Amino acid sequence: MVAVARRSVLIGGAVGAGLLAAGCTAGGPSSPAPTTPAPPDPLLAELADERRLVAGYDATIARHPALRARLTAVRDDHAAHAAALVTALGPAAPPSSTTPAATDSPGVSPTGSPTGSPTGSPTGSPTGSPTGSPTASPSTGIESSGGRTRVPATPPAAVAALRAAERAAASARGTAALTATPDRARLLAGISASEASHVAVLA
Amino acid sequence: MTAPAPTPTGPGTPTATPSPTPSGTGQVPALQAGLAAEHAVIWGYGVVGAHAGDALLPQVRDADDAHRTLRDDTVALVARYGGTPVATEPEYALPFPVTDRGSALRLAVHLEEGAAAAWRYAVAATDDVAVRRAALVALSDAAVRATRWRLALHTSPATVPFPGD
Repeated sequence: MVAVARRSVLIGGAVGAGLLAAGCTAGGPSSPAPTTPAPPDPLLAELADERRLVAGYDATIARHPALRARLTAVRDDHAAHAAALVTALGPAAPPSSTTPAATDSPGVSPTGSPTGSPTGSPTGSPTGSPTGSPTASPSTGIESSGGRTRVPATPPAAVAALRAAERAAASARGTAALTATPDRARLLAGISASEASHVAVLA
Repeated sequence: MTAPAPTPTGPGTPTATPSPTPSGTGQVPALQAGLAAEHAVIWGYGVVGAHAGDALLPQVRDADDAHRTLRDDTVALVARYGGTPVATEPEYALPFPVTDRGSALRLAVHLEEGAAAAWRYAVAATDDVAVRRAALVALSDAAVRATRWRLALHTSPATVPFPGD
């Protein structure tokens, strides 16, 4: 019956299910291993930005522990984004840093990546991500100096900075999705939508 | 917590304007997937509105209005790309009984998750940039609304890493 089939789009999520693996978990078959270091994979810039976001949340939680309950789930979303991008990149993905000293906080998660990572901002990024410097992400409001993430002094200002970072990230991932391969477009679109929803919880 | 927020990628409705010579493929099937979901979501919001309670009605109305606008715009887009827009079904099956505010809110979350799944499928189903952009906006708006309904339900976490999964 036709109604059942269409309903499944809504009720069962069947449309998405069949395509999920390639974009978000499996990755392997759809991302052939590059054998030459030719042009940088555009996903590298997206991965670097997701790692910056994780580091930004870790530093914010460390400086303003009262925000932990509100921010932890969002931070974990970004960690999931980074993990999915690593999978999509395959062997091209750079390892994440394991040096928590990169942020202001003594107790940050080891998954936080220093923003000064050499993988941070390939020049001439086609995604429109305006990352001009390897040590700062001006569009996101998450700044770093000497590898340390700067967090605004008050919780409201810190949340506002994260909100701005989410808007910029949603825009950058969305722009990247427009011209990516189908699997990557699906992944980037999902990340972009997740980041748009983060703005709602940071409001 | 009232009107759907604009997303960074554009206004809350499809803005695809087919060029005289479409540059991609798969536009109509992608849009039809989104349209079929919008039909179901609009039907579902009728059920949500009947049980959500007066306090939530403005939010329900805003969401319903947004989906009706999206539906109308998508119908027009399908036609402009040469397709025959899929029609709504007379009735859809509910995933669970809806009897009170809580179940109405859970249905609203479910509806937006379904819309997100369809539009995320649409993003990957075409390489036409204009249609992808429209689908991306619809996906983001659905994700934002799902999050707002989860906040109203005090569901934690209120966000998911991959809306539409």
